[in-house]
Amino acid sequence: MVAFVVARPGITLTRGGKQLAFVVLFVLPVVVASMGAAEQMRRTEQTEFCLSCHVMESYGRSLRVDDATYLPAAHFQNGRIPREQACYTCHTDYVLYGTGLSKMRGLRHVYAQYLGRVQTPIRLYTPYNNRECLHCHDGARSFEEGAVHSADPSIMASIKSNELSCVSSGCHANVHDVAHLGELKLWEAPK
Amino acid sequence: MNAREPHLHRRLRVSGVLIILGLAVELLSLIRIHPLAFMGFLLVGGVLLAAGVILYLVSLVHIAPTASRQDLR
Repeated sequence: MVAFVVARPGITLTRGGKQLAFVVLFVLPVVVASMGAAEQMRRTEQTEFCLSCHVMESYGRSLRVDDATYLPAAHFQNGRIPREQACYTCHTDYVLYGTGLSKMRGLRHVYAQYLGRVQTPIRLYTPYNNRECLHCHDGARSFEEGAVHSADPSIMASIKSNELSCVSSGCHANVHDVAHLGELKLWEAPK
Repeated sequence: MNAREPHLHRRLRVSGVLIILGLAVELLSLIRIHPLAFMGFLLVGGVLLAAGVILYLVSLVHIAPTASRQDLR
């Protein structure tokens, strides 16, 4: 339809032609761009998207560490998080516009990957926020009644207020240990 | 027909070509799940589409005063 208007712009002299031009040169691009943007945003949440950068490969492999004490691996392998959105589930703020802000950071990552210099080891911009864990665990019996979590009321309050990090030393500190990945046994998912 | 029409037609053609190119780039960007596909969608496809739509709207705005003046006569 766009090609038709391009080939015969004279049709816009008629009322019907004007309406057609408005639809194909304004409404159609706006609708297609909006739908495409929504699809692209959905795709950026995919694990495949994150792991397509070379620097992230080892983080992807760390999801297959055959040791239940490794937090991301245990979540990934036991289906506690959707495997196709493994990175996004634990590394995106759930607040308003969180996704958009993450995408802005993502643009910086793309720049670093192709035009700049990737800093290794990769570090989070801000300390890991317990909110990402509490999104699922808050209210769960295993969490609320956990022996350590409920040993002292102040511990639970500290966890929920993000004063005591879930991934702090002595708690769930085993996360993406990519430095020692070569020494760890990896789990192979059944086909 | 007035003197502005060929100029308007040329703008419509350019606008249409930009939109076709933008739509093609956006379609191609959906082939792979990759950061570069996302960037292509945003920076190439999006810019081409926006340029096409803006050129179309500008051409409408430019033709409107001419038509209004003719109506007054």
